[in-house]
Amino acid sequence: MSTVIEQIEQQIAQLSSKAVKKNTGTIRSVADGVAKVDGLSDVMYNEMVQFPGNAIGIALNLEEDEVGCVVLGDVSQLKEGDEVQTTGRLLSVPVGKMLLGRVVDALGRPVDGKGPIDAKEFYPAEKIAPGIIVRKSVSQPVLTGIMAIDSMIPIGRGQRELIIGDRSTGKTTIVIDTIINQARINRQGLASKDPGFRPLYSIYVVIGQKQSNVARTIASLEAADALQYTIIVAATAADNPADQYIAPYAGAAMGEWFMENGMDALVVYDDLSKHAVAYRQISLILKRPSGREAYPGDVFYLHSRLLERAARLADKGSLTALPIIETLASDVSAYIPTNVISITDGQIYLEIDLFNQGIRPAVSVGLSVSRVGSSAQLKMTKQVAGKLKGELAQFRELAAFAQFGSDLDARTRAQLDRGARIVELFKQPAFNPIPIEVQAAVLWAMQNNYFDPIDVKKIVGAANHLQEFLNTRKRALLDALRQKAAIDDTLTAELKKALEEWKGTYTG
Amino acid sequence: MQVSKQSRQFARQLFRLSLADGQISAERVNSVLIYLNQHPPRQPLAILKHYHRLVATQLAKNHASVEHAGPIADSILQTIERALTQKYQRPVTATAQPNPDLIAGLRITVGDDVYESSIPSHLAALASSV
Repeated sequence: MSTVIEQIEQQIAQLSSKAVKKNTGTIRSVADGVAKVDGLSDVMYNEMVQFPGNAIGIALNLEEDEVGCVVLGDVSQLKEGDEVQTTGRLLSVPVGKMLLGRVVDALGRPVDGKGPIDAKEFYPAEKIAPGIIVRKSVSQPVLTGIMAIDSMIPIGRGQRELIIGDRSTGKTTIVIDTIINQARINRQGLASKDPGFRPLYSIYVVIGQKQSNVARTIASLEAADALQYTIIVAATAADNPADQYIAPYAGAAMGEWFMENGMDALVVYDDLSKHAVAYRQISLILKRPSGREAYPGDVFYLHSRLLERAARLADKGSLTALPIIETLASDVSAYIPTNVISITDGQIYLEIDLFNQGIRPAVSVGLSVSRVGSSAQLKMTKQVAGKLKGELAQFRELAAFAQFGSDLDARTRAQLDRGARIVELFKQPAFNPIPIEVQAAVLWAMQNNYFDPIDVKKIVGAANHLQEFLNTRKRALLDALRQKAAIDDTLTAELKKALEEWKGTYTG
Repeated sequence: MQVSKQSRQFARQLFRLSLADGQISAERVNSVLIYLNQHPPRQPLAILKHYHRLVATQLAKNHASVEHAGPIADSILQTIERALTQKYQRPVTATAQPNPDLIAGLRITVGDDVYESSIPSHLAALASSV
């Protein structure tokens, strides 16, 4: 009984009659998600301010006689003369594992109808990136499950790899494939109870996308049972620009929690072009001076401070960033694409022409690069894919000559044949990531001429047949490949034996 | 009304001229108004409105509006004045304003700062904590 009395007393103590101090202001004008406020003399830069009707704002412009705030949430209820008050808190979002499997808005509030999120910790949305001393170089891979990327443009944990291309070239598909692949690896790793296994959690930040697209993405992740390892931060086209501006920082904060707590996370920003557009809108309404393409002067810092937060920390975890940029008419030299290209550690360039030719994923090998990922690549992938990029480059160069007729020497013809087969081999359907050990086995077969007798048009079918054969009949070999992560003499002999057996079963 | 940047700057300049020792001087405000009357600027209405807002904001910093539900003694007002003058390091005068919506307690407004201990504020705190 006494505990009940204590509880009531505690409640009374919380409601003590002590006066509460508030710093207030009044709305002078509200337009396009931005409120100009009189007063708020104690407000800090980037502080959350409370508007009536539970709307939250962020103080972005501190001027001599007024404060410019972006409003997050519904602005339709706000009017001139409404009272605004400071909160004394910088914008912070809930973080932690309880967010996994949930869809939240830019402030971390659930929007999936699965009930409230009982968050114990909050992290500031804006945070200075980790310094030089605490960082460690990238050495562990992020496996996308896409053969063309894992073999030629490898990504490491803590890396920032840009995915760039025109509309409808498969940018989102690549990241969804990656998230699905990570979920598969997590399931496998956690089931194996290996103490050294490090799961990779995913955060997918939606910025200015259509709600139908987001619903489709969620459905794809649910279908692949990947949502349980994923947080979706949604600031769709229907949300106001302030939400779209804040969403990637909120996603980064959620990812930082995993990194700070010794875990690994992957954050996808889909996409930063729309983020820049939302920020441009806010800046223009706040009457900040505009520069090239009407973007404000700090649009580079907008993205650099976000992407710098991706890191691999010594004795802690890592945060890998996959920003997406949508180009217009394949113009990679536009303002925002060049900015983000210069910030990131490489880019995966998707070409509309390749996409239309049926080469999917439409990765342009010549223009794509990973500056740090090769040090994170597994040894077996290096062994089988080390020469692939060169071979493909040679193929592209020679392909132009192939049009002139049959006067080609045997060596050139062989190179062309090999290139055409590699291109076919890299064709992969959406939402169908391939485990790295299967990729290695298939590429080993390619390097050891097992696909040479097969007609180029039948390579995709043959590769699928080989994958099925390995998955159903050579599980032990695949397990050994995954565990050793390198192809030694024993595995070479076993691969040879398995492929000879496959040759016998494949009828074309 | 859209106030131009120049008009706002001019209003701020007039406001600075109206200060004596960091406080609004009635004499200087009077002089400013006479000057404006004799030399009407462009956008006089916008400038005067902005000037009025700046002066009112400054004056509000030296004035405490004490909202109360029941009767309030003069001695309490004087105590409040003394406490606020000491806190802000500037003279603050207090005036009482009855507000039955408070039910019980006080709400004191000094410039942008609001100090409140009243039934509605406690109920609001309780509602947000539940």
